[in-house]
Amino acid sequence: MRRRVAGLPLDVTAAGTWRSAVAVVAYAVPIGFILVPLTSFLVYSFFWVEGGQMRFSLTLLNYQRFFTDDIFLPVFWRTLFLCLKVAGLAIGFGYPVAYLLAGLEGRKKYSFAMLLVVPLLMSYVIKIYAIRSILGGNGFLNQALLALGLIDQPLTFFVFNLNAVLLTLTALLIPFAILPIFLSLERIPRSLLEASADLGASSAQTFVKVILPLSLPGLVAAGTFVFVLAIGDFLTPQMVGGQSGFTFGRIIYSQFGMAFNWPFGAALSVVLAAVVVGAIAAGALFGNRRDEQR
Amino acid sequence: MTRNKTATIALSTVTGFVVVILYGPIFVPIVSSFFTVKRGTVTWDEPTLAAYSALTRNEGVLEALRNTLIVGVLAVVLSLALGTLLAFYYHSGRSRGREFLQLVVFLPFLMPPIITGLSLLIFFREIDFSRSLVTVVIGHTAFVLALVYRTVLVRLQSLSRSLIEASYDLGASGLQTFRYVLLPNLSSAMIGAAVLAFALSFDETMITLLVTGTENTLPIRLWAMMRLGFTPDINALVALILLFTTVLCLAAARHLMPQGAAGREG
Repeated sequence: MRRRVAGLPLDVTAAGTWRSAVAVVAYAVPIGFILVPLTSFLVYSFFWVEGGQMRFSLTLLNYQRFFTDDIFLPVFWRTLFLCLKVAGLAIGFGYPVAYLLAGLEGRKKYSFAMLLVVPLLMSYVIKIYAIRSILGGNGFLNQALLALGLIDQPLTFFVFNLNAVLLTLTALLIPFAILPIFLSLERIPRSLLEASADLGASSAQTFVKVILPLSLPGLVAAGTFVFVLAIGDFLTPQMVGGQSGFTFGRIIYSQFGMAFNWPFGAALSVVLAAVVVGAIAAGALFGNRRDEQR
Repeated sequence: MTRNKTATIALSTVTGFVVVILYGPIFVPIVSSFFTVKRGTVTWDEPTLAAYSALTRNEGVLEALRNTLIVGVLAVVLSLALGTLLAFYYHSGRSRGREFLQLVVFLPFLMPPIITGLSLLIFFREIDFSRSLVTVVIGHTAFVLALVYRTVLVRLQSLSRSLIEASYDLGASGLQTFRYVLLPNLSSAMIGAAVLAFALSFDETMITLLVTGTENTLPIRLWAMMRLGFTPDINALVALILLFTTVLCLAAARHLMPQGAAGREG
């Protein structure tokens, strides 16, 4: 590498031009390609469609339709509930793994953490497909259960319905639960655990009274991540949900496909965005409060 | 952390189960790819490489692969350039707009991909920009930008100010300081971010599905193939993709790990 120690004297005006050019690009691109699209999207949700034609006048009809129609609101609540269950399951499985991980030492810890993170970067579509074929009537799970003699005929309660969506999303999103919990467990000072033991607490008591409360911020972050990712997903329900596994994401997607009602789809997405922002804000608020208490 | 024997066994059992859940869906297609598949069921006593040779003749898949690579490389280059610029802008100034700008950059990463995808879809339609691989590149760049920006910014903030001051004291210009002092210090973070961004772009499905025109990227092609039914060469393709992504992950880990491990001591 060449090194030039004595450079040219600093040209003040050139530096100023350079600086403002950077500022222009720094603002123009994110605003042009992120903020403007999001804004036009928001505006679209106030337009409407009549006889297959877009009407570009502002109305609240789309929102009214969402809140009054008997189809959309139940699906919405069902999806929220489903994603809460996904978050709960992911935390339930993720917590023990994070706990075990936090107890490991040095290199072992990071290798194992890698092992848990790597599947996140593996093809999402392929994983959904593979899980579907594992859960399916002819799939590995049923074949294994049949071979073990636990069941007489293939189980179908996790094929092409909401249970399938629940299981698939959980399997896909567990790593997002493990990581934040692991990080919060890592931040608990060892001295606190030793103090608890010195004062005569059993390991179960230490867990309930010391570790669990201190890892709560991580738990909340994990729940937020998984919930937000689950509610935004429309591929999984589309692939494994079948006819009965209709979710909010699928309804939104269908507005841009078959139903071809973009303004209504935009309005539904705005509702989705509001839920996501609410979930993130609630998670952040809770996390911050816990931090301040320390 | 202290714990007794029963707890250890319980923890290990759950962990083992989770590892099976995480890796099962990855290994099933890989293993299946080496066997004959008849009517959707794998015949375990007929090992074959037929799926792999069929794959080399599958024009649609090869074209999708080419598109995916083009999109990935362009998205990485664009997000790297823009993300680094944004990180520098955020790091060097004090203006109030920076926080707002940072929020905008984070939005596509925080919001569900369906929202990013749909907003771009509507935006492109409004400005009469027809959907193609160009729109896919824009979508992917918007999506991975936050990751690149954040990674570079964190590294930038960890660098000592005196490094830059020393460079200026020795008479280097702003550009020279960037080229000879900052860039070498940032390069490992940038490479790590680039690899991760590429991996994300390679696998991005939801935004792509909404902003693509007639061209397919690999995940979109797979998505279409899987909905219609399955040919054995998909298993072969899946195995190759997974091999490729694993290599990518390990490469990214090599560049990001030392930083993570060092961060623990600091």
